[in-house]
Amino acid sequence: MTDIDWVSFLLVAGAAIVAACLVVALFAFGLRMLSTAGKAPHVTPAEFTDAITIVTPAEAAAEAKRIRRAAKKNPLSAGQKRLALIVAYACFSLCAVVILFGIYLIIPALHG
Amino acid sequence: MEFTLIVVLVIALALFFDFTNGFHDTANAMATPIATGAMRPKVAVAVAAVLNLVGAFLSTEVAKTISSGLIKEGSGGVLITPTMIFAGLVGAIIWNLITWLYGLPSSSSHALFGGLIGAAIVGAGFGSVDYVVLLDKVILPAALAPITAGFVAYCATKLAYAITRRYDGLPDGRAGFRFAQIFSSSLVALAHGTNDAQKTMGVITLVLISAGVLSPGSNPPVLVITACALAIAIGTYTGGWRIIRTLGKGLTDVKPAQGFAAETSTAATILASSHLGFALSTTQVASGSVIGSGLGRRGSSVRWGTAGRIGLGWLMTLPAAAIVGAITALIGLLGPVGVIIDLVIAVGVIVLIFVISKRNNVDARNALEGVSEVAESGRVVKIRKVKPKNARRDAA
Repeated sequence: MTDIDWVSFLLVAGAAIVAACLVVALFAFGLRMLSTAGKAPHVTPAEFTDAITIVTPAEAAAEAKRIRRAAKKNPLSAGQKRLALIVAYACFSLCAVVILFGIYLIIPALHG
Repeated sequence: MEFTLIVVLVIALALFFDFTNGFHDTANAMATPIATGAMRPKVAVAVAAVLNLVGAFLSTEVAKTISSGLIKEGSGGVLITPTMIFAGLVGAIIWNLITWLYGLPSSSSHALFGGLIGAAIVGAGFGSVDYVVLLDKVILPAALAPITAGFVAYCATKLAYAITRRYDGLPDGRAGFRFAQIFSSSLVALAHGTNDAQKTMGVITLVLISAGVLSPGSNPPVLVITACALAIAIGTYTGGWRIIRTLGKGLTDVKPAQGFAAETSTAATILASSHLGFALSTTQVASGSVIGSGLGRRGSSVRWGTAGRIGLGWLMTLPAAAIVGAITALIGLLGPVGVIIDLVIAVGVIVLIFVISKRNNVDARNALEGVSEVAESGRVVKIRKVKPKNARRDAA
């Protein structure tokens, strides 16, 4: 005899899946395009919170070098790389728009 | 009734509850970015604290009833007295601190509801609680929240890895998710601030109304909003490192892509739930997301023992807080003397919990197991890492 609102629950679950997957897919695709364009981001952890992923400055430099070297071997033409880069930035921008929409939803003053 | 002792006590306790709420819930937003090294632990909790502070000011729409309909308030129902609120708050605070001691992420709202229910049963009998509402608004969502968030995070994690997986030897750039985590976790912290500080504002405002200080239906005064915002922000900054440890390291090993997927799922689920009218607990959503992301990444495992302990904690939250609330209400029935006795016992228990917690202190330095000693020694002693051929592909 519960009158749990299954419709709104399914709505919530559906909206959450669509929104989360959209943001993650956009960002992931952006990263992939960056990598394709030979500009794979290199972000070392701000702090090493587990013993396995310790990266010494030398190792970080080596990783950055490896990324640069991999970029040189990139078979794509300059134009293709530029296109990939544009697509990557477009993805990141779209991702930012969705995040901004999230902030809009959080702040009641903005949507009444 | 004017500004009596009990009103002052309830306000003080409500603010302390707000503090434990922030303290308990830092982990929801910040456990995963700390675990992946997206932000330094201290920076992460500072960001969360600021966003909670801002969030508290952004949204000040208070609930009409303290218990959201769980207790039959209003005409024909029970009159919730300040003493009952006092007892409920004591129950909620003590249960929040016990779960913190064990590093269990548990819902602060459930603890508050539990405490109030216990107090209401003692004050007005079993008939004062609306059990259908209890089932619909608390028990079923508690089961649905982690499953939903877990499934969302599972899909998002799968997607993140599938899209970035490369077979051509180019770097996959997954470290870039670390950068994105800063934003996704901040979104969760902001959403938390707009939701949770309000609960306390509502409690304080309703007590002030019942004390005749404010006229019925008035909005919380600026002083109340500021006090609540500060209490939750200080609580968040203090950081429940034990809970951060559980969520960041205890359930599964979190990698940047996973962390981003989990935080995005948490944010999406919470926002959807608060805008499409099916309330889900932030804590339960966040825990579910971490588990889901652990299931979604190849080669990662979920520690079901820890997940089970968390689940047990959730099951116990409502009854345990209710029992503490009931005992407090029972003693409180003695009148002002009872309230003083309650207060002395409650402060004693709180101090005791802090003393016990000092035995194995967990703070920013050692929140993620094995951090300090091993990580620091790693800079001196070169650890040889075994690198399988395609390690890079699955490591980031």
